[in-house]
Parts: sequence; structure tokens; C-alpha cells
Amino acid sequence: MAGRSGRTISTDRKRYTKGFFSSWEFVLVILFVAINIFCKIISQNYTAANVLREMPKYLSEMFLLFPMAYILLLGDIDISVGATVCLSATVSCFASNAGFPIGAVVLIGLLTGLACGMLNGLILTVFTELPAMIVTLSTMIIYRGIAEIILGSGGSVSLNDVSGFSALAGMVGLFPYLFFLVLILGVVFTIVSAKTPFGRSLYAIGSNRSAAFYSGIKVQRVRFIVFSITGAMAGLCAVFLTSTLFGANTTTGNGFEMDAIAMAVFGGISAVGGKGRLAGGIISAFIIICLRIGLGEINMNPQVILIILGILLISAVLAPNISTKIKEKKQVLARK
Amino acid sequence: MKRFLSVFLSVGMVASVLAGCSGNAAATNASGAAESSNAATSAVAGASATGKTFAIVTKSAGNPYNEKEAEGFQQVIEQQGGTCIVKHPEAATADAQVSMIQSLISQKVDSISIAANDENALQASLQQAMKAGIKVSCFDSKTNKNSRQVFVNQAGTKEIGQALMDAVYDISGGSGDWAILSATSQATNQNAWIAAMKTVMKGSKYSKLNLVEVAYGDDEPQKSTDQTQALLSKYPNLKVLCSPTTVGISAAAKVLQDKKSKVKLTGLGLPSEMAAYIGTDADHSCPYMFLWNPVELGQLSAYTSIALVNGTLTGMTGDTFDAGNMDNSPYKVVDAADGGTEIILGAPFKFDSSNIDEWKNVY
Repeated sequence: MAGRSGRTISTDRKRYTKGFFSSWEFVLVILFVAINIFCKIISQNYTAANVLREMPKYLSEMFLLFPMAYILLLGDIDISVGATVCLSATVSCFASNAGFPIGAVVLIGLLTGLACGMLNGLILTVFTELPAMIVTLSTMIIYRGIAEIILGSGGSVSLNDVSGFSALAGMVGLFPYLFFLVLILGVVFTIVSAKTPFGRSLYAIGSNRSAAFYSGIKVQRVRFIVFSITGAMAGLCAVFLTSTLFGANTTTGNGFEMDAIAMAVFGGISAVGGKGRLAGGIISAFIIICLRIGLGEINMNPQVILIILGILLISAVLAPNISTKIKEKKQVLARK
Repeated sequence: MKRFLSVFLSVGMVASVLAGCSGNAAATNASGAAESSNAATSAVAGASATGKTFAIVTKSAGNPYNEKEAEGFQQVIEQQGGTCIVKHPEAATADAQVSMIQSLISQKVDSISIAANDENALQASLQQAMKAGIKVSCFDSKTNKNSRQVFVNQAGTKEIGQALMDAVYDISGGSGDWAILSATSQATNQNAWIAAMKTVMKGSKYSKLNLVEVAYGDDEPQKSTDQTQALLSKYPNLKVLCSPTTVGISAAAKVLQDKKSKVKLTGLGLPSEMAAYIGTDADHSCPYMFLWNPVELGQLSAYTSIALVNGTLTGMTGDTFDAGNMDNSPYKVVDAADGGTEIILGAPFKFDSSNIDEWKNVY
């Protein structure tokens, strides 16, 4: 059995319960509860119904978190996802306006995303020496450029018939459909990364790509699959985003790549690869969403909200570093 | 254990930041109230807003024009005893506005007045708001007719197109190349004015004028500066540049004046930002320009919201309502070109060297 993949890899197996209570995920769960209590105190409108109604726009961004976590585990990065969302949303809107039924429109959106992701994967696996940052930066510009050409001079398209997309934005009781889809996909992505050979190979590649290669892992095939999945998930994000915006424009998906990376890193996934768990990313996504909604409800200046999220993020990255430093110092003192 | 400690420390830090912010917010609210009581204008009988909450959502933070509109809005609401919520989105996108609308629905406000970043993208959220009993009106930049009850228009689109075309005709001497420097390519108000100018230009009087390009500076000073320089080098025979956006016109004015260019400028600009560039001699780049009063637009929006909430206004064509001591009060709801309804503030106002000094301190 492969070693547990916490923030540190150790050979001795700790007891499960002890492992959980000292894990970053446990800290995040506490933080999540604390944030919810905090929001409840500051805003009387912070109710389940309101939070769930405000949530869909943020939830669709979570589709990007799952594959982005995989990419970060690989030690890669993909900053073209926001542009892929823009292009997929644009193409789906035009497909819908051309009279395709909603099922076909969703498929077209997904395929557009998949194509973008496959192109990223193809370039990165054929020319393996190219850094993912630069390649996806280029494709980001290209995808957005194509979207802007399709959108034309007005720079914006809106749905002629919104019935199909409205149905996608439907609810079961208080819960939007989207909520369940995010939950299911979250569980699938988490289990795949933690329990399957494919998932474990992500950690192996991220820890040491050459070692992974020489131990028989098809490194480039794994990378190609992950980048392709990322594209398809960006397509899914675009479809649900369209169901809340009823259209697309040149600013659609702006900054989504950074939001996804922030959620993953806050969740304890290392940006240099090989460390962290998706479960942490999912909890941290909900922390960020709840905090945004809560602070929005007391009409805090959105720029201040951004600053708070930034502080939270850097604290989360610093926390384990500081604790190791303190530990080291103690060890040095103990030796004296 | 150390990890817990550091997390709790960071939570504490965030909490203190929050406390600091909410303190500041309270302080700004208080100063806002003081300002509005200083600006003593008579309260209107029957238009009281006591106990109601009115929200205004602008296009983005850091837009002085939007801030003036919000100021006028807040003044009137607070004068009438209502509670005013001003929301500036973090970016000039429809996305950011959707989150704000959702948040306002949760807060059960009585009305939302919004300057839309996209004509159609807000439809789902604004319809949700209307279903929840919130009165929705737009100002400055409209949404589609299904997403609003009424639009408070700064000036008729036709009037602006006519005024700007006449300015281009006059400044160019009736013939030659001219260009437009706009904001973003999807800004609904910009596109409507440009379309109106193109319609006016079809008249035989303007046949010798040649529109070479519509450039987009995205309402960013640097990009607008770059676009102006690009236009100058691309079209050496350019005579007039028309920029119907406050950010674009001030960036272009600086470029033209610094270069001592022969190209002249007109458009829509803020007097306080443009005062240094307005004049008829060779040292100044802009002979004259137009604008309406954003503070008044905000005030009219506020009166519209109050009338909608009180039920004296439904947003149907032919409705009239009282707008305090504003110039054209009472205002009348008319049909808009998109099939919805609108309220027009008035014709654009001309700023030239004779009056700029008195206006530059106003806004």
C-alpha cells in the first residue's frame, strides 16, 4: 500500500484518528465552522436558504478546483482555464441561439473545453521541456482571442431562449442541482486521487518526475489525461455559469484560474507538486465561499474582502512553515 | 499544536482586520449623513422613504463618475429618511454585479438601482429580485427591458449622438478624418451613442466626414493613452477625436496636449478632470465637450426608487412622479427604444472655456 499522502510523507503509519486530528483538513473543518458562526453573528440574513441561493455562481468555479488540484499535484500549473471557460460559454451560447437542444448545447460546451484542454496537454507532452506556465499563458491569450473574435464587435452574446439553461439552474428544495453535482464530482475526484493507481501516480510524478518515469509510470500520458480533463471541467463550469448569466462576454471567466489555484493552495495542496489532499481544497473552497457571502451581506467593500482573502491565503501557506521552524528551533535547543 | 496556534492567530488577525473595517464603514456612513444634512434642500411631502432600504450598485470601484452618481443617490435617500446601501463591485464585470444582487436579495432591501456592466447577463438575478418584491431600476447603463421596471437615462441617446456629431462637424470644419475612442466594446451606453452618431452621420451634411476607426480603451487610463497614440500614428490626417467616455477623453486630452498635436478632441468628460485641457487656442486640446450632471442623475435615480417603492410609480409609460426640487420635475415615464420604459434627465450640457472654471469645482 502506498504511503499516506499528507503534507509530509512518512513511512510509519499513524493511527487513523490521531492522523486526522493533527491534519490540516481538521484545522480547515474547525475554520469552516468558525467562519460560519462568525458570519451568522455579523449578518442576520446569513441563513441556509440565502447562502444556498447565493452559492451557484461560486459553486461553478469549484469544477475548476478539482482538476486544478490534480495539476498542482503534478507540479504543473494551468492558467488558461479562465479563458477556456470564456470560450466554452461563448460557443455554447451561440450553439443555443442556433437552435440546438439543451442536451446538445451542454455537450458542445464540454467538447469545446475538452478540445482546449487537449491542445494544452498535447503541446506540453510533445514538447516536454516547455514550462506549463508559459504554454498555458499563451493558450490563455489564444482562447480568449478566439472567444473575442466569435463574440464580434459587441463583445457580448445573450441567449435567445433561456428555458434550457434555466432548467439547469433548478433546485431540489433549497439545494441547487449544481450543489449535488459538485458534491458527487468532489467525492469522485478525491477518491481517484487517494485510492487509485492513477491517483497515486499524480503524487509520484509531482514528487519526482524522473523517479516516477523510471519506475514505469507513463508520465506524459498522465499529464495529457489530466490537462484534457481540466479542459472538460472548464467546459462544465462554463455551462453552469451560463445558466446564471444567460450569456457570455469578453470578461466571462476572468480570474477564475487564480480562484481555483487559491482554493487548492489554501486547502494544503503544495504548488510545487506531490503534497496535499483534494479534501482540504474542497473544504477551503467552502470556507472562501461562505466568507464571501457573509461579508457581502454586511456590504463590506469588495476590495477589502479581497484583501482579507489574501491574508487568509498567505496565513494558510505560512502556518505549516512557521510550525516546522518552531519545531526545528526546539530540537536545536533540546540538543544543547 | 503549533499549527493550531498559528491558525488561531491568523483567525484573530482576520477578525481584528474585520473589526477595523466595520469601524471605518460606520465612520464613512456618519460623514455621509453629515454631508447630506449640509446640502439642505427641501424635503418632498409624500415622498418619504422612512424605514425603507435603498441600494445602488455601480459599475466598478474607482470610477469618479459612478461615485458622483452614488453620492447624489445617497444624498436624496438620507434626506428622505431612508437607509442607503452603496455597492461598488470589485471589477467592472456582470459576474461581480450578480453576486452583489444576490447579496442584496438576502438582505431584503426595498429597491435596487443599478448601472449594468452587461445588458443581458443580470436578467436571471434581477428577475429573482423582482420576484422577491424588490423594485428594480437602472441608471447610466441599462439592462434589457425584462430585467428592469424603468431606466433612468442621463440623456436621450439621439440627443447625445446629435450633439457629438455636430461638435465633430464644427471642430473639423465640416470635412476630414475622425475617430472614436470608446470604453469597453460591450458597454451598452457607449455602443448606443456610437450607433446614434453613425445614424446622424448618414445625413448629407456630414458626407465629407470620414470615421476611420472606433478604438476601445476599456476605461483604463493607460490603455486609452496607448490607443490614442496608436490612432495618431495610424492616421496622420486625423482631424478630430471623439471620446464619449470620461476616462478616455482625459487620457486622450493629455496625449494630444503634451504632443502639441493638431488633432482636436471632443466628447463626454468630467469638468474637474478636463479643465486643464479646455480652450480654443492651440495650447489646449479640447475646444469643448459635453456631459450631464452625474450628481443629478443619482438624485433622479433615488427619487425614482422611492416612487417605485411607495407605489406612486409603476414604470409604465405615461406615469409621472415628483422629484423634489430638481429642474425638470415632475418627470414623466416614456417609451425606450428597446421596448421598455425610461425617464430622461435632460439634454447634455456643453462645457467650454467660458463656463469650465465655474464647473470644475462642482464635479
